[in-house]
Amino acid sequence: MSSTTLTRRQRLSRLDVKASPYLYVAPFFVLFGLVGLFPLVYTFVVSLREWDLLKGPGEWVGLTNFANVLTDRFFWNSIGNTISIFFLSAVPQLIVALLLAAVLDQHLKAKTFWRMSVLLPYVVTPVAVTLIFTSIFNEADGLANNLLNLIGIADVQWKHDTLASHIAIATMVNWRWTGYNALILLAAMQAVPRDLYESAALDGAGAARRFFSVTIPSIRPTLIFVVITATIGGLQIFAEPRLFDVSNAGGIGGADRQFQTTVLYLWEMAFFRRDFGEAAAIAWLLFLLIVAFGLINFAISRRIATGEQRVESRRVRRALARKAGAR
Amino acid sequence: MRLSRRTAGAGAALATTASLALVLSGCAGDAGGGDSDEPITLTITTFGTFGYDDLYKQYEDEHPNITIEATNIDTGGNARTDAFTKIAAGSGLSDIVAIEEGWLGAIMEVSDQFEDLRDYGIEDRKGDWVDWKYAQATDPDGRVIGYGTDIGPEGICYNGAAFAAGGLPTDRAEVASLLEGDWAHFFEVGQQYHDATGKAWFDHSGFVWNAMVNQLDEGYYTKSGEVNVEDNAELKARFDLLAGAVAGGQSAAQAAWDWNGGKSFVDGTFATFVCPGWMLGVVQGNVEAGGGDASTGWDFADVFPGGAANWGGAFLSVPTTSEHKEAAAALASWLTEPDQQVAQFTAAGTFPSTIAAQEKLAADATPNAFFQGAPAGAILAERAQGVVAQFKGPDDSLIQENVFGPPLQALDRGETDAAGAWQQAIDLLHELVG
Repeated sequence: MSSTTLTRRQRLSRLDVKASPYLYVAPFFVLFGLVGLFPLVYTFVVSLREWDLLKGPGEWVGLTNFANVLTDRFFWNSIGNTISIFFLSAVPQLIVALLLAAVLDQHLKAKTFWRMSVLLPYVVTPVAVTLIFTSIFNEADGLANNLLNLIGIADVQWKHDTLASHIAIATMVNWRWTGYNALILLAAMQAVPRDLYESAALDGAGAARRFFSVTIPSIRPTLIFVVITATIGGLQIFAEPRLFDVSNAGGIGGADRQFQTTVLYLWEMAFFRRDFGEAAAIAWLLFLLIVAFGLINFAISRRIATGEQRVESRRVRRALARKAGAR
Repeated sequence: MRLSRRTAGAGAALATTASLALVLSGCAGDAGGGDSDEPITLTITTFGTFGYDDLYKQYEDEHPNITIEATNIDTGGNARTDAFTKIAAGSGLSDIVAIEEGWLGAIMEVSDQFEDLRDYGIEDRKGDWVDWKYAQATDPDGRVIGYGTDIGPEGICYNGAAFAAGGLPTDRAEVASLLEGDWAHFFEVGQQYHDATGKAWFDHSGFVWNAMVNQLDEGYYTKSGEVNVEDNAELKARFDLLAGAVAGGQSAAQAAWDWNGGKSFVDGTFATFVCPGWMLGVVQGNVEAGGGDASTGWDFADVFPGGAANWGGAFLSVPTTSEHKEAAAALASWLTEPDQQVAQFTAAGTFPSTIAAQEKLAADATPNAFFQGAPAGAILAERAQGVVAQFKGPDDSLIQENVFGPPLQALDRGETDAAGAWQQAIDLLHELVG
């Protein structure tokens, strides 16, 4: 330790090198601590107490709120609805977004026009989207039922039949998010080196083959990002089911809670039933669920992309072996 | 971060202004008694159609130092969420907050969050209001937390064309005498109508049930504040009566607040509709949205099954968080004076809660062109006779919406019978309340 030989200036500059990077990233963590971590911890504190929305905190009750929520059939109903709507939206949404991005990645005329067009639904607020779709899915005279009648299908009970209502809500979510995801995927596709495609084409790979063997593995990190954000968003659906049924003011999402998602159930608990403690417990359980789903999806999407590469290398190895054998 | 700093700055500025005002008023002595000319901005939050816009302008003209910043929330339900959230957060409420009768019960649990208006002289005006309106705004400790604005006496809206098709009289007075009686009689006539036309008598069960409950001396709660549903024989009898009518085909099973985009009001899907004063505007709006107009034939009769009933109405309150309590109370008091209530009725159709204003509307008997010239004000004044205030408990709107809503919709759809629907309601009550 020869620090005594250093001048004050030198010490400062050393400190600068060591500490500055942390200072540069600090704003994010300070902000995250304030608007991310603090609410998370505080919500947990609230979930441990009796807490009336208006009257404020009451007794400490330990994990009673969690126990109450976990034994509430409406909680499990909301979890089922959320997962059902999530699958009905996320899966088709990502497939279509991927195809859309692939199409936009071709040499089209008026590129910007097409790209802006797919983003347009995202610009419209979810409330407006829901109002329009609520009218489309009106059971008596809505556009959806009128079109179905044309091809001889009887009226669908969009707001009463459980699966139909999930499809209707998933449609709204897809309408809003498909274009957004397509653009993110498109940006990743544009970064794929073109010579990869060229050499693949020279080797006789068709368009579909190039898509599955070159494009998808190359955009893997972005694909994972899109899957994770779609998971987080999909499990937090609120505005669509809240506004889909105007008749039930209490936030129950359909007369028999056919499409009450977990966030909507949270809303009912906090603002209609005024039980803030249990609402906080729901929020935490939802958080855990999202983390779990996120991890599962992360694992799956990694596997899909790497699986493709593994198959690829196996094929190449086999081909080489055959060639070697022929020789 | 920046936001909080800015708020702190504003707070400091306010504190400065306040201390300055203190110094100034100290200099001026006691003249005016708080009636200073210091420019102030008052915020007010209302909901639905309140009809206050012209009144704000008038007040600002008469009080040049006052600027009114008004927010109107689309429905009472959303205003409830807004107010509850802000009470829970402990900040953000306007200087004047409109409270709806349906969730007044919950507000009463935290009535100390609102100013006792007796400190601002509301007792001098006690005689202005109908007794029960004033009593509703009084908490168990005797504090009065709201200036009554409107009330919701209920009459029957009916479609003349539909009545003619069903062989029923169409003249307003004849309809009133035809429907005079209890709910059993109302449903008897409804059954006749259904048998003659094959069509529904009323739009859906929820609103009818709401009226049947609101009319009782005690609703979901006893006067002492206990939930009383399960062993409430009167409630059960009314439920069975309604379920019988539904089983007879009298309900059109409509989705409330949608009514197929208003079209169901126009195409004769149902013949009657329960109408508190403020609902007249809703009916007109839906008929117009559905492509109809006055010729669609909706009329308003001076009758209500089972006697007088009230649905809704509002109060203006001053939260303790207000920076200008004195000025806010003065504005709220002025807005609820009889003259202003008459102006409010003209603008929005909300029926006044002060006796002088009711008498004025009864005397004027101005015909409402949309309702075939029915003198709506005079009819509502008649309908307001004999209304009694029902005690609304803290979970009243929860019981109405989330406990009875689902079983009534199941009844309307024919998915269950009276006994099944009642049991469903009781199960939901146990799960959701308490």
